[in-house]
Amino acid sequence: MMNMASPEMLHCLSTSGNVAGNGTDMTVFERQRVRMKWQQEQFQQQQQQQQQSYFGGNEFSMFSMGGQVGQAQQFHGLINGDSAGVGDLLGRAVKADPGLENVWPEFGKLTMPGTGFNVENAGFESAGILNCSGFEMNHTTSRTSSCPLAAAEAKVRESVLPEKIASAVGRESFKKRKADKVQSPKVVAEEETKDKRIKGCAEDGSPRSLRQTITKTAPPPLQPPQPPPPPTTTIEKHQQILQRFQKFKNPTTFMFEHGEARPLTATAWPKEREKISERMKYLQDLVPGCNKITGKAGMLDEIINYVQSLQRQVEFLSMKLAAVNPRLDFNIDNFLAKEVFPACAANFPTIGMSSEMTNPSYLHYDPIQQVATCGAEMGINPAEIALRRTISAPVSIPDTFLDSCFTQIQPSSTWDADLQNLYGPEFHQGRLMSFPSQAAFTGPIDASNLKMEM
Amino acid sequence: MRPPTSLKKEFLKKWIMGLQLCSSSKKEMSFLERKKAIKLSADVAMASARNATTRWSRALISNASKDDSNKGLVECILGPESESLKRASMSLVLCNKRNRSKKILRKSCSIRRARKSSSQMVMASSIAKRLVKKRTQVLKSLVPGGGSMSEFSLIEETLDYILSLRAQVDVMRHLANATELLNRK
Repeated sequence: MMNMASPEMLHCLSTSGNVAGNGTDMTVFERQRVRMKWQQEQFQQQQQQQQQSYFGGNEFSMFSMGGQVGQAQQFHGLINGDSAGVGDLLGRAVKADPGLENVWPEFGKLTMPGTGFNVENAGFESAGILNCSGFEMNHTTSRTSSCPLAAAEAKVRESVLPEKIASAVGRESFKKRKADKVQSPKVVAEEETKDKRIKGCAEDGSPRSLRQTITKTAPPPLQPPQPPPPPTTTIEKHQQILQRFQKFKNPTTFMFEHGEARPLTATAWPKEREKISERMKYLQDLVPGCNKITGKAGMLDEIINYVQSLQRQVEFLSMKLAAVNPRLDFNIDNFLAKEVFPACAANFPTIGMSSEMTNPSYLHYDPIQQVATCGAEMGINPAEIALRRTISAPVSIPDTFLDSCFTQIQPSSTWDADLQNLYGPEFHQGRLMSFPSQAAFTGPIDASNLKMEM
Repeated sequence: MRPPTSLKKEFLKKWIMGLQLCSSSKKEMSFLERKKAIKLSADVAMASARNATTRWSRALISNASKDDSNKGLVECILGPESESLKRASMSLVLCNKRNRSKKILRKSCSIRRARKSSSQMVMASSIAKRLVKKRTQVLKSLVPGGGSMSEFSLIEETLDYILSLRAQVDVMRHLANATELLNRK
């Protein structure tokens, strides 16, 4: 209804204005007055509508703002001036009625686009009517209808609208973001999302155009030159760090400065790759049970498991040793007694004499020398040795002891089976390699004893 | 590679020395204290058996020397070369810090790169790479001083470390068994 009315009216006015001479001025003037009253009535109607449904009712009046730069500036002024206060804008909109008189002059300041302005302008005499005509010009150019008051109100509401959208959708984000730059894309984004949502709505024409206008108008005014906001996400932080270290563009060259590290991926270095594969093969031999596994990940897995198990064994054995030795005196020479190692006794030199001869300060001990000097001494009673032995006396570790322990390997199928039962599934089967040496060590002792120990 | 027996001999020598020191210094020790002393002296002995030629041994020594209570023990076990070894280990620590900052840089680069690829073919290889990477990280955490090594050196260090651990375990086990037998008799 309103859409159609004013263009027709204007058309009539223009035609009448052109046709008639002076007489038409008066008639035009009178008609302007009539129109003003009519528009005021319209505005009052709109006001009522506004109070009923703020958001939905008068949106169709909003698209009078379409394509008008001046109003964009107004919008800009409103937004910048009062970005935080949604409530203020709301108050402004409510006060549109009494505040209209203020709004009118603002509109008067707007630079009106369109050539049609001049045509009508000639017919008007009073400044007050000029304002009114200005609004009319707005309407003609925009091909929409609404009274200038409605336009003013619409402008106010428009400024409120994006704020309302933002508040409805992401009020929290607004409060968090300090920089306006971040705000504006958010506003636009939120409006666009709302735009899509409202598309299916019955009053779709106006909201869409409204969003469009807002998206058009919002970005330009809300881009004041500002320093970049502080990084709010980890990506931005990383980027900042990267910018600072741009000189180290090639990480591999950066690493090679100190000649230490190589690039993690071996693809760039065929020699390295060869070496790596060589080492992996060696590891395969070392780590039991890796013969079947191909592929780096599986191999690494096995290696990790093995290292972990070895470390755990060390822990366990140290605990065991601590439990067995209340005083931490490890008199290895006692081990060399005939009674313990009848099989290897012949090889062991006794330490009895050495304890007397050697310096009590263990720091100066030289076990190999002692072994050499006492090699001939045999057959001394190990009990005497134990009695004479003092804790501070150095312990000589004859090479032969170790040789006999570690090199004699007497594997037997029954032995292996027993050990398997002993150690259960957690020990890798391949580790039986180490058990035969243990078997040599405790040669005379049968498996049952071992079980009890463990 | 050295013959394993010589390694074991050296280890045993130094270890017993360390243990003697521990026992002479404190007459009464709780179970846990004893265990700690045993383990510590074993570890340091093992590391010194390598004479700071490998990174893990240096890292081990430096970690052990950080604690003041262990310093005396470490010095004794290390013997006359302790000062030079300590210096070598300290420099290693500084290198680690530098490498860590480099790695942070590289990670930030790779984060950007990782987001780009998304094709099917790339997925499989990227998964494999990720697995390998995870495991190398775990291995680095296991091997002492592994945090600052490249992949290649990590493998070498792991090899050496495994050998030493093996020797350590063997010797300890034998000692434990012998002690137990002795106590029983």
